[in-house]
This record gives sequence, structure tokens and C-alpha cells, in this order.
Amino acid sequence: MSDRIRLKAFGMLAEKIGTDSLEIENPGSSEALKRQLLQQFPELQSLTFRMAVDRKLIQAETAISTGQEIALLPPFSGG
Amino acid sequence: MEKVRSPKNIFVQGPISSEKIAQSIANHATKTDIGGHSIFLGQIRADEKPEGKVIAIAYSCYEEMALEKAFEIREEIFAKYPLTCMHIYHSLGEIKVGEICLFVFTSSKHRKAAMQACDELVERIKAELPIWGKEILDSTATQWKVNT
Repeated sequence: MSDRIRLKAFGMLAEKIGTDSLEIENPGSSEALKRQLLQQFPELQSLTFRMAVDRKLIQAETAISTGQEIALLPPFSGG
Repeated sequence: MEKVRSPKNIFVQGPISSEKIAQSIANHATKTDIGGHSIFLGQIRADEKPEGKVIAIAYSCYEEMALEKAFEIREEIFAKYPLTCMHIYHSLGEIKVGEICLFVFTSSKHRKAAMQACDELVERIKAELPIWGKEILDSTATQWKVNT
């Protein structure tokens, strides 16, 4: 069984990445994922974003397990 | 008996109509322990930007996370203030200038709790719910809204 995670992107980040959802190999942690994303999508380097793991915002480096849903969230602008 | 609350949908496709708001007020007529309502309505403003004038905002969200978070906020506000009722509606999709995109409605026995809870809810909705607004300009350009 392969170690894959689901990645969702929202708002401006979805536009920069070119899709709002993709499945990738699990890099193991939120920091490793961020490094990988910035390398793969250099346009993200100038953007501010946070991550949520299984719909909870993360504050510090977090381990990522197989099958988890990771979301890339630009600054919220509801209301 | 303590009422058990569960997450409910706060999202409305398109603008929030004045009929919906009026109906929502009317629905509380039978709750005669209420002495005060507080209502906040967010309206799309025609901001002038260097690239053009805002004619609409297109809202999108991370629905599952937004509903979980809205439920959490709702429970915290209910625990903090003596409220009788609380309703939150946020639009999704394209909302034109002058239309309503956010409707927050709190009710309590006395006015202060309703007013303070409503204010705190609006602030938390804007800061904590994963919702994004894309401003559509009359120059056909678009740009992502920034909350202040």
C-alpha cells in the first residue's frame, strides 16, 4: 500500500497551483510538505498561507499520516 | 432538558434576501422570553481599487472545516452569553454590490447579551472561518479580498 495524502488548495493558492485538489506521496511532516510545495510551485514563495490537517489548523510542525487530508489556506476573507 | 446542538449548515448559495431576514425575525414571535434581538448584515461595498471598481465578490470556502469551526464558535458563544437563539448565514458564489452576504442574528432576554454576542460572532466569523472572497472589478480584472 502506498503512502499517499490528499491535498486541497483554496482561494489564490488553488489558482497558483492550477487545481484545488491533488493526491501526492506523503512527505511525512508539514514542514517537509511545505518545502516540497515551494520547490514544485515557486509562485507560492511570495504568498502567505497556513495548513490544516484533517480540518484543524496547525500551529507548529506536525507529522502527517497516510490518508490524512491536508489543506492549504490563504488568509481568510469571509464576511 | 439540555438541548443537544449539532453542526448545521451556515452557507447559502447566492445573496441573502430581505425576505429571508424578515421571515427569520417573524419566526421568533412565538419565543416570548426574548426581549432583544441583535442583527448584523454584511453588504458588498463598491470599493474603488487602482485596477477598477468592485462590482461583486465571489465567495468560496472549505466547507467541512468551516462548518466544524462555526459549530465550535457557536458553542463557545452560547457558553459565554445567556442567549436564547443564534443564527449565522454566509453567502457562497457571486454576490453583487449592495447585496447581503452575511447575516448574524442573536436573541436574548435582555439586550446587552444579544448585542455583545453578535459583535463577537461577526469578528470571529471573519477571522476564523475558512472563507475567501474574490473581488470582481468593472475592468474585468479580479483580485483576492483582504480582511481588515
